[in-house]
Amino acid sequence: MTRIACLFVPDADERVKPALLEIALRHSPSVEDGGPDIVYLDLGGLERLWGGEREIAERLRRAARERGAAARIGIAGSRAGARFAARAGSDITIVPPGRDARWLGPAPLALLGLSPEMSARLGRWGIHTLGELADLPARGLAERLGGEGSRLQRLACGEDATPLRLWTPSPVFEESADCPWGVETLEPLGDLLADLADMLCVRLRRYELSADAFEWTCRLADRTVHEGDCAPAAPLADSAAAAELLRVSLAARPPRAAVETVTLRARPVRAESVQPRFDEPPRPNPRLLTATLARLSALVGAGGVGSPVILDTHRPDAHRMTPFLLPSPRPSPQRGGGARNPSKEIFTPLPHRGRGQGEGAVLAVRRIRPPRSVEVTVDAGAPAHLRAAGLAGRIIAGAGPWRVSGEWWTEAPFVQDEWDVELHDGTLCRLARDGRGWRLEAIYD
Amino acid sequence: MATPTESLPPPGWDREGLDSLLDAFHEGRLSEIVGPRSSGGGSLLLALLARATSRGGLVALVDGADAFDPETAARAGLDLRALLWVRCGGRLQPAWRAADLLARCPGFAAVALDVGGAEGSAPPSFGVRLQRAAAGNTAVVVVRAPRHMTGSAAALVVSVRRVRACWAGAHRRIRLRGLVSEARVLRSRSDPRQAAPGRAWLIEWRT
Repeated sequence: MTRIACLFVPDADERVKPALLEIALRHSPSVEDGGPDIVYLDLGGLERLWGGEREIAERLRRAARERGAAARIGIAGSRAGARFAARAGSDITIVPPGRDARWLGPAPLALLGLSPEMSARLGRWGIHTLGELADLPARGLAERLGGEGSRLQRLACGEDATPLRLWTPSPVFEESADCPWGVETLEPLGDLLADLADMLCVRLRRYELSADAFEWTCRLADRTVHEGDCAPAAPLADSAAAAELLRVSLAARPPRAAVETVTLRARPVRAESVQPRFDEPPRPNPRLLTATLARLSALVGAGGVGSPVILDTHRPDAHRMTPFLLPSPRPSPQRGGGARNPSKEIFTPLPHRGRGQGEGAVLAVRRIRPPRSVEVTVDAGAPAHLRAAGLAGRIIAGAGPWRVSGEWWTEAPFVQDEWDVELHDGTLCRLARDGRGWRLEAIYD
Repeated sequence: MATPTESLPPPGWDREGLDSLLDAFHEGRLSEIVGPRSSGGGSLLLALLARATSRGGLVALVDGADAFDPETAARAGLDLRALLWVRCGGRLQPAWRAADLLARCPGFAAVALDVGGAEGSAPPSFGVRLQRAAAGNTAVVVVRAPRHMTGSAAALVVSVRRVRACWAGAHRRIRLRGLVSEARVLRSRSDPRQAAPGRAWLIEWRT
């Protein structure tokens, strides 16, 4: 016989709810989140663990009181019966098995949570308690109120056949390992992280999730903490790829001392599983791409690998790097989700051009980063000779100046005059001049 | 715009000419664009990458000199979201290794190494390694360098030279309008109808 307990905390605030769920889950594996102030437990099979229903109710009430919540406990043969018992009864109300309808009879009709229209209609009929509603002829009630009338009458009898909608806590994808002897070299530490990543990936796959970021925290022998994170190009739940990514990322930022405790966390996401279309070009394998990007980051630094985004400003060479993410197989307006969110940038990036909307044969510009100081001889207001490291010669043609300025309203305004010049050896350059002198900005190629 | 120099086609054929030049760069083969600065080699590389992304592919650029300009690339039609840009900050050693890594990662439509104006030489057998990596890949693997660097490994070598700069303005130069350059096939192991050695294109690159 099913027995359900209901924990009800009148006027509960949001902080009470997690505590109620935790208390319930400590006593029963079958728990339902019933709303802001109610939690249900299935008491089936708990007698041998916690004793009789009275003992369980007292344990629940005591545990709630320890967490600062004055809970009322109702136990009945159904969820509705337990709820009505908890709301209408005293601190602990236990409805004897099989007597839900009879016990609930005197309870007020308001426990059903009726709409004002339904409440007024039943009031006009002289129905004020659950027992009076339960005693009405079922057929006549259905003829007058339809299916809703039948449902209310079943609830008034304490009949609620709907099974509990089981609540489970959100999984935490975190694994730790202690190494009291202290790991001093990268190779065993990488192995340790690989083992933790394997455990996390197994759990992720069990929940049909993938990780779009990994974070590690190492407690070091010198009582400091070493933290780091890494993100794959595409969400993954592959142990080998995650291990490779972590090894390379760790090698790029090794801890300063021996590691005594290491904790690895994965940020879970639900990766879309979409079959690629035949007419789409091939995409890199996420696992292989992740490993390649990790090696590239270790090679040139994490800031040197990514996709550029042009910023919405006239400042020369204004762009920023964003992580390179694999596109979704189907076109979507925002590729890569929040990873490319530019909301924290001073300048918003320009919208990317659509594919194939370029101007065709465009003369490429090779930027000099940072712009190189050059010596320029001016003749009749125009550059006549250029001298710089690896580049010198007479200027045979040129156009300019073009004034480029902006952001005068900020603390870093810019203003410069630009020339396009052609040297005698055919080199086409862009020169700029501001208050600090002449600079070589770019070479056309 | 590009036109084969053997017979100048009527207006309207220009883009087709550039496309026919770009068609000479085959998937799974190592290609090389050779030419000094301001010869149009960078523009040719940019056009190649832009065409790959316009067909929905992903491209990777190993930028040895950290000279890539995203704004010009976007204007040329390169989808920046589909570009993996590896900035080597003027160091060539990481650039060789990065190109080798990317050429061994299948799934890119094009993998390009832009050496820039560096005078350093490639490591021994670099060209052969890159050619072998390209052979197992579906990507166009291309090296842009001021001089020939990949030895005999490249299946296609295109030499680019500057013909003239184009300026706007009749009496007084107002602005740089573009550059006319010639691209000539020095070596080709592919279909001779597409790119026979000696075939050349005149290309006008516009600012």
